[in-house]
Amino acid sequence: MSATVPVAPAAPQPPVPVVAKRRRPPLQMASPKKRGTATAASASLVLVGVVFFVPLAWLLLAAVDPSATVAIGIPESLTLDNFTTVLTPDLTFRPLWNSVLLSGGTALLTVAVATLAAYPLSRYQMRWNKSFLYTVLFASCLPITAVMVPVYALFVSLGLLDNVPGAIFFLAATSLPMAIWMMKNFVDSVPISLEEAAWVDGASAMQALARVVVPLMRPGLAVVFIFVFTQTWGNFFVPFVLLLDPDKQPAAVSIYNFFGVNGAVAYGQLAAFSLIYTLPVLALYLLVQRVSGGFALAGGVKG
Amino acid sequence: MQRTRFAGIAAAAAVTLSLAGCGSSGGSEGGDDAKTISVVYQKTASFTQLDDVLTKAKSEYEAANPGMTVELKPVESEADQYFTKLALMNKSEDTAPDVIYEDSFQVRSDAAAGYLAPLDDQLSGWSDWSQFDDTAKQAGLGDDGKTYGVSLGTDTRALYYNKTLFQQAGLPTDWQPKTWDDVLAAARTIKAQVPDVTPLNIYGSKASGEATSMQGFEMLMYGTDDELYDTSSKKWETGTKGFSDSLGFYQSVFSEGLGPSQDLALDSTLGSQVSTTLIPQGKIAIAIDGSWLPGQWLSGDNAWPEWQQTMGMVPMPTQTGQAPGSTSMSGGWLLSVGQHAADKQAAFDFVSTALSKENALKYGTEASQIAVRKDVATDPEYLSYNPSFEFFSSLVPVTHFRPATPDYSQISSNIQVAVESVVTGSATPAEAAKTYDEALEGIVGPDNVQAAS
Amino acid sequence: MATLELDGSTSRGRVPDTRPRGTAKEAARTAGRLLPLTPAIALMGVFLAGPIGYALYGSLTNAALSGYRAANPEFVGIDNYTRLLTSGDFWHAAWLTLLFVGLSAVVGQNVLGMFLAVVQNHAPKPVANVVGALVVGAWVMPEIVAAFALYAFFASDGTLNAGLEAVGLAPASWLIDTPMLAVILANVWRGTAFSMLVFNAALAEVPPEIGEAAQIDGATALQRFFRITLPMVRRAISTNMMLTTLQTLGTFTLIFVMTSGGPGNRSTTLPVLAFQEAFKLAQIGYGTAIAVVTLAVGALFAVLYVRVLKPEVD
Repeated sequence: MSATVPVAPAAPQPPVPVVAKRRRPPLQMASPKKRGTATAASASLVLVGVVFFVPLAWLLLAAVDPSATVAIGIPESLTLDNFTTVLTPDLTFRPLWNSVLLSGGTALLTVAVATLAAYPLSRYQMRWNKSFLYTVLFASCLPITAVMVPVYALFVSLGLLDNVPGAIFFLAATSLPMAIWMMKNFVDSVPISLEEAAWVDGASAMQALARVVVPLMRPGLAVVFIFVFTQTWGNFFVPFVLLLDPDKQPAAVSIYNFFGVNGAVAYGQLAAFSLIYTLPVLALYLLVQRVSGGFALAGGVKG
Repeated sequence: MQRTRFAGIAAAAAVTLSLAGCGSSGGSEGGDDAKTISVVYQKTASFTQLDDVLTKAKSEYEAANPGMTVELKPVESEADQYFTKLALMNKSEDTAPDVIYEDSFQVRSDAAAGYLAPLDDQLSGWSDWSQFDDTAKQAGLGDDGKTYGVSLGTDTRALYYNKTLFQQAGLPTDWQPKTWDDVLAAARTIKAQVPDVTPLNIYGSKASGEATSMQGFEMLMYGTDDELYDTSSKKWETGTKGFSDSLGFYQSVFSEGLGPSQDLALDSTLGSQVSTTLIPQGKIAIAIDGSWLPGQWLSGDNAWPEWQQTMGMVPMPTQTGQAPGSTSMSGGWLLSVGQHAADKQAAFDFVSTALSKENALKYGTEASQIAVRKDVATDPEYLSYNPSFEFFSSLVPVTHFRPATPDYSQISSNIQVAVESVVTGSATPAEAAKTYDEALEGIVGPDNVQAAS
Repeated sequence: MATLELDGSTSRGRVPDTRPRGTAKEAARTAGRLLPLTPAIALMGVFLAGPIGYALYGSLTNAALSGYRAANPEFVGIDNYTRLLTSGDFWHAAWLTLLFVGLSAVVGQNVLGMFLAVVQNHAPKPVANVVGALVVGAWVMPEIVAAFALYAFFASDGTLNAGLEAVGLAPASWLIDTPMLAVILANVWRGTAFSMLVFNAALAEVPPEIGEAAQIDGATALQRFFRITLPMVRRAISTNMMLTTLQTLGTFTLIFVMTSGGPGNRSTTLPVLAFQEAFKLAQIGYGTAIAVVTLAVGALFAVLYVRVLKPEVD
C-alpha cells in the first residue's frame, strides 16, 4: 500500500505526510570534511532536541514529583500519588470514556462515509468530479475553529447543544474533506482488475467495494480512522463550546477545567492527568506507523 | 439494489451513534423530564458551602417528594468561566437548567432574555417570603417588576489588612484610612518596609470577572462624585472624572508595583488564591475584598483560626473623604427557576427547601453571608457565629448596588476590559475610559448615554 | 441531468463502460453511482456549509447571549462589519494574527522544519532518530497538553526563567511582557514536526546524483543546498507553507490556554477575539462577524492554494 500513496508535494496533502524510506546519500567515504559535517549536524540537532525535550520532560518529571512546581526540577522523591489522586471516575475515567465515544464515533462515521464517497469519485469519471473534489479540498483548508461562534448559535437553534451525536456529526463533517481525499487516494491505489473479476461474477459496484476494495485497503482505513480519532481526541474547542454537561465532556475539556480550578496548586496532578490523556494517542501513533509501514502519522493536526 | 456492505457500514455508524447516545443519556435535559430537577451552581476550591447546602436540600426535598430526583450539577470553574458557561447553557432550551444559581446583576439581564421564570405566583403562596427583607426582594426584580429569584444572602465589601505586616512596617494596627491617598500611602510604606509581600490587592483583570468590576473598580467609582448610571434620567454616564480617576487609582497601584505581580493579577484563580493562601500566609498586606472571606477561615479545608488576631477590617474610604466618608458595594446571589423548567412549581419547591430558615441559617453562617431573612438575621446562633458580621453589617448604610438594568452585565465586562488595559499598561486611564465610552454607546445605543456635565 | 463522462481508458483504474447505453438506464445508473456520495454531501452540507451560511446571517444581527437582544435579536444590516472595520481592537487582532501566522508558521515552522530535515540527513542515524522522535512527540500530543507544557515552560517561575537564572541571565515575564513571542515560539515547538516530515519526504525524492555531481564541481554544501536542493523541492515548500498557514490561522487552544489573549489584548488573535466578543462580552452577532472575516481570510488562502498550486485532482 504504502508505495502507492502519494508523496507530499505531488498530490493534495494528506495531513499524514508520508515519509518514504530515506535514501542516504551513497557517498559514505569517511573524509575528514564529511566527519566534520556529521559532527556539526549532530551538535545542532542535539541543541534543537534539547529545546524540544525540556517542556516534555517537565510533564514527565512533574507527574512523579510529590511537590511539583511550574518549573522543571529533579524530584526529591518519586511518587505515584499524582496518578492515584487523579484516577477517579469523575476526574479521569468518565472523561476518558467520553473521549473514546466522541473520537471513536467520529472516526467510525467519517471512515464509513468517506469510503462510500471515495469509491465513485475514484472509479467513475463524472462531469463534476473535479469541481466536487476541489470543493472538498477547499473545505479541508478552511479554519473551522474560526466558526465556532456561529456553530454554537446553529446548535442552539437546532437543539443539538449538549448532544453527543450532534457533536459527532459536526466533528465528522469537519474531518470529512480530508478523509475523502485520503480515502480516494487509497481507492485509487487498488488495481481495478480485481473488481473486474467480481463484476464478471455479477457483483454490483457496492458489493465489489465491500468484498474486494475494502479488504485490500484495510491499512488505509486504519490510517484514516486513527487520523480522525487522534484529531478528535485532541480537539478541545469543539466540545468546549458544544458539550456543556460535565457528564458528557471529554478529557480535553475536563483537563482544562481541572487546570482552571486547581492548576495553580496541583501541577503534579495536572502533569499526571496530561500524561494519562496523551498515552492513547501516542500508542495509536506508534500503531499506525506499524499498520502502514512507511507512514508517518499525524497526531492531532492542529484543529 | 444490492447494498449489503452499504447497509453494514450504515449499521456500524448507527451503532456508534446509539453508543454515543447511551453515553449521553445520563442527564435530564432541561425541561424534558418533569421528574428531575437539574440544579446548576458554582463550586470552587474556596467555595464549597453552597454545594453543602444544596446537597442537604436535595435529600430533604427527595424525602418529602417521593419519585422526584434532584440532579446537582456543580460547575467547577472560577467566576468569569461560570458566567460564560451559564450563558451558553441558558441560551438553549436543551441545556437550560431548572434551578440556577444567579448573581443578582445577571437576574435582570437573564429575565429580559427570557431565560428565567417569574416566581410571583409561587412566592405569594410561600409564607416564608415575608421574612425576606426589602433589599432581598429588590435583588430578584426584573425590568417588568416581577420577581425572578430568591436571595441567598447579601454582602458588603471593605478593606482587610494584616496587622502583623502593618506592625512590621511601622503602621498603626488600628488603621483608619480617610482617603484613597491614605490607602496608597500605607501600601507604599509596606512596599518600602516589608519585602516580598503584595502591599495592596485589588482585582484588575478580565479573568477575575465581576470581582474586578465590583470588589475593584466600583469600590472606587462609588466613592467619587460621579456614578456609572444616572437613575433619575435612566442614562449611562460617559466621560466622567470619577471614571478616569478610578482607573488612575489602578494605574498608581500597578505602575508603582503596589499590586500583585502581573501574572498573579491576570490569573483567573487569583480570587481563590487570595482567600485560601495569600492572605492566610501573610503575603498580602491590604486587600479590598468581600464580607464572605472569613466564612472559609472559620472551618473546613481552609480553616485559619488565627485570622481574628491577624486581620483588621476597615471601611473603604471615599476618594477625598467626601461624605459619607466611606463606601461599599453590595450584591449577592439568588436561586432562580429556569423558563424552560418542565415543572416550575417543583423547581420552586426545591428553591424554597434550599432557602428554608434552617438551610438559610446554615448557608448564611458557613458562607459568611449578610442574612436577608429576618428570622436568620436575628437568630442568636447567626449573630454569635462570626465576629466579622457586625462590622460588615455596619456598612449597609453606606453601601451601593450595581445599576439594575439588563445591560449591566455586558457593561461590566467592558469595565473589566478598561481596567485590565490600565493594569497591564497598554492604555492610559484616559484612553481606557474612551474605549469604555465607545463600547458603552455600542451596547445601550447613543440615546441612552449622557456625557458628564 | 447528470450524465457520465467516461474516459474509456482503464489506465488509471476507471471503470470502462461495458454496459449498453440508454438514457433511462444511464440516469438510473448515475443515480446509483451518486448514491454513496449522499451521506458525505448531507453531512458536509448540514454541518459545514450550514454554520457558514448561518454565520453570514448571524453576523447581520445584534444577537446577544443575555438581555433583551438574546430573546429578540434584530437585523442590523452591516452594522457589525462597519463597527468591526472601525474598531482598533479588530485591526490590532488582525495584525497579531498576521504576526502569529507569518512568524510561527510561514517562517518558524518552515525554516526549522527544513533545517531539521536537511541536518538529519547528515547526522548519525541514532541522533537523527531521537531528535526526530522528540520533535514529532511535541506534535502528536493533544494541543491542550502541549499548551500546558509550554505554559509551564514560559511561566514567570517556570522552566525557562529557572534556566536563565541558572546561567546568570535575567529572567523575564514572558507571558506578560512578550506574550506574542511566547505563543509564536510555542507554535513553532508544537507544529514544526509537520513541516519536517513533509520536507523529509521531499528531500528523499531528490536524486543524490545531482548533488554529487555538483560536489565534484566544487560547490560548497550551502551552494548545493540553495542552488540545487531548494529549487527541486520548491513545490513541497510552497504547498507546505500554504498548509501550515491555513492550520495556524485557526489556532485557538494554544493561545487561549497560555495567555487567554492577554495581558489586555496583547495576544488576542482573530479566533480569540471572536470567542471573547461572543462568549465573554455576550455579543454573538459581533463575534460572528469576526468569525466571518477570519473565515474569509482562510478562504482566500484556500482558493490561492487550490488555484495556484493546482494539486492534482486525479
